[in-house]
Amino acid sequence: MRRLLPFFALLLGACATPQNNYDPIEPVNRGIYAFNNAIDKAVVKPAAQAHEKYSPGPVKQGAGNFFGNIDDFFASFGALLQGKGSEASHSMGRVLVNTTLGMFGLVDWASDMGLKKSDEDIGQALGSWGVGSGPYLMLPFRGPTTLRDSSDLAVRFFADPLDIWDGTQDLSTQVIRYSAWGIEQRRQLLPLEQLISTQADPYAYIRDAYLQRRYFKVWDNNPPKPLQLGPTDEELDAMDAAEELQTKTSAASAPASLPASGVAEVAP
Amino acid sequence: MKKWILALSMGFIATCSLAALTESPELIVKNVSRDVLEIIKKNDKDPLKARDLVDTRVAPLADYNRMTMLAVGRNWKTATPEQQQALTREFRTMLVRTYFSALSIYKNAQVDVKGTRPGNDASEMSVLTEVSLPGQKPIPLDFSFEKTDTGWKTYDIAVDGISFINNNRNQFNAIIRKDGIEGLIKQLSDRNNAQRNTNK
Repeated sequence: MRRLLPFFALLLGACATPQNNYDPIEPVNRGIYAFNNAIDKAVVKPAAQAHEKYSPGPVKQGAGNFFGNIDDFFASFGALLQGKGSEASHSMGRVLVNTTLGMFGLVDWASDMGLKKSDEDIGQALGSWGVGSGPYLMLPFRGPTTLRDSSDLAVRFFADPLDIWDGTQDLSTQVIRYSAWGIEQRRQLLPLEQLISTQADPYAYIRDAYLQRRYFKVWDNNPPKPLQLGPTDEELDAMDAAEELQTKTSAASAPASLPASGVAEVAP
Repeated sequence: MKKWILALSMGFIATCSLAALTESPELIVKNVSRDVLEIIKKNDKDPLKARDLVDTRVAPLADYNRMTMLAVGRNWKTATPEQQQALTREFRTMLVRTYFSALSIYKNAQVDVKGTRPGNDASEMSVLTEVSLPGQKPIPLDFSFEKTDTGWKTYDIAVDGISFINNNRNQFNAIIRKDGIEGLIKQLSDRNNAQRNTNK
């Protein structure tokens, strides 16, 4: 147990200076982020790059449209839950047109017919009802979300529209489908690669971008004020003052604290 | 006669530069986005050339100094003038390299000005636009302007609600707390140099 003490101290130290108001489990999230990155580097990114490079245009277009059609299906409910009648009907109309005329969503006829694609989902609907984002979560294999926005994934999984005509999707079908979805989504993120890799702290950059973007969408692109991601200037001033005080007092009592840390190291 | 022409052309030039000074943010965004899209289209095969041309076109209208100041936040005051210059230089390089090199995917894009939003006072204003690509959801692109002695200048851009300033302030604060202002300058320039080496 004693051996764990430095570990807890480290965790507490990490908590003492939170970088972001919405990321209480940052050390855990960072761990999952590193794991995701390793998987991405080894498998997902090469697959997405191959898809980008070798798939003919119509295949990429078709893949984008197919998954976009499922997005539209859930967007219609997201819009409906916010009382946005015209968005909901446009989205539903898109699903009807594209699933039938568009061959299960592979071709996007609805856009040509003037049915607008709307950017709504269940997470946004909850947000518009005043549900806060909750903690930021980095999901294994999936990437950034928040507790509130994870409802979207749950709904997508349990109310899967593909179950309507294929209620008995076996595991391998599911795996293939979610892999294809993941690879298509990853392909769409490829242009952002350079942007993220040049950041001093890519994890923090992605997190702050995700949180701002979702906040912006919940407010229908017109938020009342910018999202306060980290400590305010006043809070930072207070933290600096406290730190200064601490270094002063610990400098005064340094000899006394030495044996204690020595014990922790020697302990079996 | 020659004097007349000279006087006329002088007058013309004066009105032109005066017009540039009083150009509204909305008009600036319209003109710049038209020119930028043209640059991207013309240099489709050479993204690096496109990046440099866009940089040149945008530079007189962007207030990189204020942008950096706001991104660095409260620690800006404690930085020396040399440090402030270094921060601005590295931050600008980072923005230009990352954002402007990725512009080629927007060669078929269309930028529509949706309207403006007043800022905190009369010297601030946002221009709201939407970038649309065929068959995709339009992406909101908002420009924050402030009025300076040399006309309206942009000090922040938000892509889909993600503001340049906000998205960096948090990271920058954390780095400065840990490694100081010099640490931040070093991190930024190291990243920029690494990019320069991998990227022609």
